[in-house]
Amino acid sequence: MKKTDIGVCLAMYGVCAFFLHMTLQLPKAAQIYPSCVIALLAGLTTLHVINMIRGAIREGVTSGFEDFKDFLPGQFFTILAMIIIYLVAMPYLGFYIASILFMTASLLFLRVKLWQIVLAEIAIFVLVYCAFTLFLEVHLPEGTLWEVWE
Amino acid sequence: MTETLSLMAGGFVSALHYVNILAMIAGVTIGIVIGCLPGLSAAMGVALLLPMTFSMDASTGMIMLGAIYCGAIFGGSISAILIHTPGTPASAATAIEGYQMTLKGQAGKALGTACIASFFGGLLSCISLYFFAPLLGRLAMMFGSPEYFWLSIFGLTIIAGVSSKSMVKGLMSGALGLLLSTIGMDPMQGVKRFMFGQASLYEGINVTCALIGLFSMSQALILAEAKIRQRARATEFKDRMMLSKEELKEIAPTIGRSWIIGNLVGILPGAGASIACFMGYNTARQFSKHKELFGHGSYEGVAGSEAANNAVTGGSLIPMLTLGIPGESVTAVLMGGLIIQGLTPGPNLFVGETAKMTYTFFAGFVLIQFFMLGIGLLGCRGFAHIARLSDAILIPSVTILCVVGSFAIHQNFVDVVIMLIFGVIGWLARKFGLNNAAIVLALILGPIGEKGLRRSLLLSGGDPRILFSTPVCWVLIALCILGILSPILMDRMAPKEEE
Repeated sequence: MKKTDIGVCLAMYGVCAFFLHMTLQLPKAAQIYPSCVIALLAGLTTLHVINMIRGAIREGVTSGFEDFKDFLPGQFFTILAMIIIYLVAMPYLGFYIASILFMTASLLFLRVKLWQIVLAEIAIFVLVYCAFTLFLEVHLPEGTLWEVWE
Repeated sequence: MTETLSLMAGGFVSALHYVNILAMIAGVTIGIVIGCLPGLSAAMGVALLLPMTFSMDASTGMIMLGAIYCGAIFGGSISAILIHTPGTPASAATAIEGYQMTLKGQAGKALGTACIASFFGGLLSCISLYFFAPLLGRLAMMFGSPEYFWLSIFGLTIIAGVSSKSMVKGLMSGALGLLLSTIGMDPMQGVKRFMFGQASLYEGINVTCALIGLFSMSQALILAEAKIRQRARATEFKDRMMLSKEELKEIAPTIGRSWIIGNLVGILPGAGASIACFMGYNTARQFSKHKELFGHGSYEGVAGSEAANNAVTGGSLIPMLTLGIPGESVTAVLMGGLIIQGLTPGPNLFVGETAKMTYTFFAGFVLIQFFMLGIGLLGCRGFAHIARLSDAILIPSVTILCVVGSFAIHQNFVDVVIMLIFGVIGWLARKFGLNNAAIVLALILGPIGEKGLRRSLLLSGGDPRILFSTPVCWVLIALCILGILSPILMDRMAPKEEE
């Protein structure tokens, strides 16, 4: 049994409780199907708990963090934070400016050489411009900040 | 019969339109690039490029996605042979013999064998696609609401098969996907369910956003969590890639056997190219006249593995196109592509005007194999350099493509947020042993099953016996039981692969 599985089961029970709470606010006839699915998820999670207990008795308990042995929290959370900031900034700065800033910042953070950064950015933005702006005619966010500026 | 033949001929005429040819060339090239990059997978590549097919004609879009699929499966062999790192799990067995050949200075021959075996494996798999798909499609014509309910249950039992380690965790992932599939408007009562005040969730979670998040964004996060490793320099090779007549004769029976294996594995829901390559490799070793070469650079081994993994491609499309059951992650993504084009996988794909689209796609699938052979043989040296591309560059590049791809669906920022949420769910699922493919299968099949069940009960006035009323229902129930038992069968195959 892995200790991390306890967290997985708790998260699943949490999801069940959250959806059950919202299901109870629906009209009676609309409650049946979601309730069945919630019961199914809760039942399977309980089955997993039983398997975990059996495994713990038979083979003992491991931390489960072996799967995280190569995990670099500093690098991962910085990149994740950059992605979130990128998405938050995009409506204000526009797609292209926000993407250039995000790509440059993340590549510098990952210690990529400058010429490789320039090449990678040219390749990605040519691809995005040709495929999405020219071919698919997608109106990518232009940025409200520039509208205010004008 | 005459009608089928005319549809087949018409399919080839349409597939040879220059737009479709361009889609094949672009798709195969992109697929090979994605396949030879060890951080990326075929499912991820297809999901990432799905939005590019929105404005295309349905058949062109499907041809492009099919080309990416086939190209990625072959592309995995390039890095497997040259840098001993399989680009995709489907090339894991190729790395065993392929890299040994590279060490012996036969990298060109190994790549040539991989290319030719992939071509024949893919081409032969089209035979079953042409013959079995319409037959199964006709059978599916007999389906009513109760049968569709059982069909979706059968699809969901496949979750047990696609679960890599724990069957219960796979089923939990499926149940989570089912729960997420209830978000949106109730199909019978017209009540808003779990929409969190977002009008864009009216039709439920957009499957494409979920696909991009679960397969592509989660992969970018997986790459971001570990130390960025420098990949080995791909070996320069000068030997010929083309095989001699004698060598081709020698690998022909291996290709034939691997084709049958790969095709059957492809049709079987839950199994996939990663299993087929080992089965093809093992069979090649068993029947080889030069067993002593295995483990030291046998091109028969490369042929066995590569023919089998490419033979999976045609076979895996059969249950997806005819019954609407994607047996593995790539076909789940391809099914998402069909749904986006406004088409419902199932028997309707073989009737009327839609049949023309289907047969154009089939013909395109045949032609894709020829382009894969040509581009593979001509471009291997160039693709070998791409295989060295650093994960550091892939992380922001994939993220930007995920963002722009999900935004392009409805030109709506909520889709981007949903994609990111699914990206994080996908990352957590992979870290904690849950299964992304199972979540996607349940997201796709959940609404079909719900409608089938509730319509059946409405027709029978609430009597559940309607769900057991026809022989087809019983056949599907038997298949469901088989679907649950299939992981046990797969487990029995696994030790042989490891040997």
